[in-house]
Amino acid sequence: MSAMLLNKEKWSEFIGKLSGKNLWAPAVQGEVKKYAPVAEGETVELDEGNTTVPPKALLFPQTETLYRFSTGKEELEFPGLDEEMVLLGVRPCDARAMALVENLFRWDFDDPYYLKRRELTTLIGLACNEPELNCFCPSMGGSPDSTEGLDILMTDLGESYLLETVTEKGKAIVEEMKDLLEEAPADALEQKEQLAKGAREKIRRGVDPDGVPEALPQLWEDPLWQRISAPCLGCGICTYLCPTCYCFDIQDEIEGSAGRRCRMWDSCMFAEYTKHTSGHNPRPTRRERTRNRINHKYSYFVDKFGVIACVGCGRCSTLCPVNIDLIDILRQVKAAQ
Amino acid sequence: MDLDKLRKTAAEVVSRDDVKYLIGWRRGTFGYRVAPHFIEDAAGVDELIFSPLCIANLANYLTLTEKLPVPRGQEADTRKVALLVKGCDSRAVAQLIVEKGIKREDVVVIGMPCPGMIDWKLLAERYPETDVAAEIGWKGEDFLLVRGEEEITIPRAEVLAEKCRLCRHPNPVLSDITIGEAVEPWAVAEDSGVAEIEAKETAERWDYWEEQFSKCIRCYSCRNACPLCYCEDCILDRLDPIWVNRAVNFSENTAFHLARAFHLAGRCVECGECERVCPVGIPLGKLNRKLARTVREEYGFEPGLDPEAEPFQASFKPDDPEEFIL
Repeated sequence: MSAMLLNKEKWSEFIGKLSGKNLWAPAVQGEVKKYAPVAEGETVELDEGNTTVPPKALLFPQTETLYRFSTGKEELEFPGLDEEMVLLGVRPCDARAMALVENLFRWDFDDPYYLKRRELTTLIGLACNEPELNCFCPSMGGSPDSTEGLDILMTDLGESYLLETVTEKGKAIVEEMKDLLEEAPADALEQKEQLAKGAREKIRRGVDPDGVPEALPQLWEDPLWQRISAPCLGCGICTYLCPTCYCFDIQDEIEGSAGRRCRMWDSCMFAEYTKHTSGHNPRPTRRERTRNRINHKYSYFVDKFGVIACVGCGRCSTLCPVNIDLIDILRQVKAAQ
Repeated sequence: MDLDKLRKTAAEVVSRDDVKYLIGWRRGTFGYRVAPHFIEDAAGVDELIFSPLCIANLANYLTLTEKLPVPRGQEADTRKVALLVKGCDSRAVAQLIVEKGIKREDVVVIGMPCPGMIDWKLLAERYPETDVAAEIGWKGEDFLLVRGEEEITIPRAEVLAEKCRLCRHPNPVLSDITIGEAVEPWAVAEDSGVAEIEAKETAERWDYWEEQFSKCIRCYSCRNACPLCYCEDCILDRLDPIWVNRAVNFSENTAFHLARAFHLAGRCVECGECERVCPVGIPLGKLNRKLARTVREEYGFEPGLDPEAEPFQASFKPDDPEEFIL
C-alpha cells in the first residue's frame, strides 16, 4: 500500500483531472446529501458526515432497465454498460457495504449488471475524522478508516489529503495524478493513525453483535417482535437507504408495442413484498416484516455468507421517523436471549 | 403539563376490561427522538410522556394496525383502543369517524391541549443531538431543554414546528378525557410557504415541483404516516392493472404525489406528518395546505372538526361555488 500526499492547494486541479472520468461526489441538495455528478470545471467540497442516500444507488440504481423489447422484433435491446465511473468521498462503511453486497450478486448467478458496474467503478474513500451520532461501524467489524471495498482511502490531514492506495485500480489513478502528489512523509502516516484512533474514540453508540446470529432463530416467537414493530410505519426508509439492502422487484413497462423490463428496489417492510398471487401473505403484519429485516441481516446472511449484512452506518436509526433504532433492537435481542 | 395525572389516568384507562391498549409516547433512544408507546397494562405507564417532542400523530395507528382474520373457534377482540391526541391528532380521529374508517365507540380519546411542538431538526441545528435522550418541556411561552445540570430556555419562535405556527386548533376537538387546561389559541402566522409558491409563475412553479418530486425515493413514508391514507388496497400497490409504474422517476413520482394530494383534498387535517417523515425533505405540507385552504375558502369547510359532519367530497350543496369549472 503506497501513501501519497495531496496538498489542498492542488485540490481543484485534482478534481479537474478526475471530472473527465464520470466523477460523482457527495453534494447537498436542499436538506439532503447525496451523490451528484461533478461536471468539468466544478469543484467538490468534502465535509464530515455521510450522505442520506447511500452510494449503492449508483451501482444498483433504484430503477434500472434490464432490456427493451418491441413486438415483431426478436432481438432484445440491452443497455450498454461501458462507462467508467469514479466515486469520490465514499465513507468506509458504504464501501464495505459494497464488498458485502457483492456476495449476493455473485452467489447462485453472476449478476451482469451489478458486477459490470462494480468493475467499471473506482471508489476513492474518505476516512471519517468526525463520526456521526449513530455511527457504530466498529461494532459491525468496520472502522472509520477501513479500506475494505475501496481502491484508494483518503484522510483529511488539514492542509492536505493522505492518499493510501489499496488496489490496482487505485494505483492507476495515483499514477495518473502523480504530478500533483508527493511521497507521504512518516509524520503524515503517524498523523493519520492518530486521527483514526481519535475517530474510533469519538464513536458514542454501539452494540456487540456477538451471539445475535445464534440467538435470533431461538427468538422467532418472542414477544419482542410485537413490541419493536408496533410503532413501525411500514415504510421503506430503513431498507431503501440501507447500504446493504439489495432486494429488488422486476416489472415490465409497456407502452403501445414497445416496452422495457426493469428492476427496481423493493423493501421487505412493504405489505405486498411477500404477498402471494392467491392473496395469502406469509408475513401478514409489520411484526413478521420487522423480524425478517433483522433476521436477514443478522442471521440468514451470516448463514449463507459468514458475515453480518450491516456495516453500522446508522442511517436506519437516524432516519426512522418513529425511533425504531437498530442498536436498541440488537440490545433487546441480546437481552431476550 | 401534569405528568402524574396523565400517567394515573392512563393506568386507569388501560386497566379497563374494555380497553385493549393505550397508545402514547415515550422518550426515544437518543437525541430528540420520541417513540410511539403501546401500553397494555398499568406498568407501562411509567414510561409515558407528553413533551414538545411528541409531534407524531398517533391516530395513524388506528388504521395502520393490521386486522387479521379471526381464527375459527376464536372470538374477535372487540376491545377499544385508547390514544393520546393533540388538537391536530384529534381532528384526524374525527375525520376517520366521519369517513367510517373507525367507529366512535371503538376508541377512548385522551385529549391533550397542545401548547405547540418543536421541530427537532431546528433544535438540533442549535443544540446538536447527543446519544442520551434529551429532556424537554414547556416553560411559559418557550421551551426548556434540560441537559444534566444545565437548563436552556429556547425561545418558542426559534424551534416551533411549522404546522404549529399555522395551527388553528391546538385543543382537541373531541375527547373522552382531557388532561390539563385548554390552551389559548395563538395568532396564526401567514402561510408563507404556500404564499411563496403561489407567487411563482406557472413555469417556475412547475420547475419547483419537478425538483421536489424528482428527489422522491418512493419509500411511501408520507403515505404510511398519514392517518387519512388508509385504503386497504392502495392504487400504488396495485400491479394488475398497474396504475402508477414502480419505476422511480419524475413522471411516476408526480403521479403518486398528485394522486395523494387530490385524495386528501377536504380530508387532510394538516397534522404535517407527511412532511415530517419524508427522508428527502419534500415539502408535502405546502401541497396539502394549499388544497386545505382552497376547500376552506371556497366551501367554508374544514375537515375533522365535527365527527358528525358529512364527508366533504361526498356532499353537495346547491350553492357550492363553481367558479373553477371551465
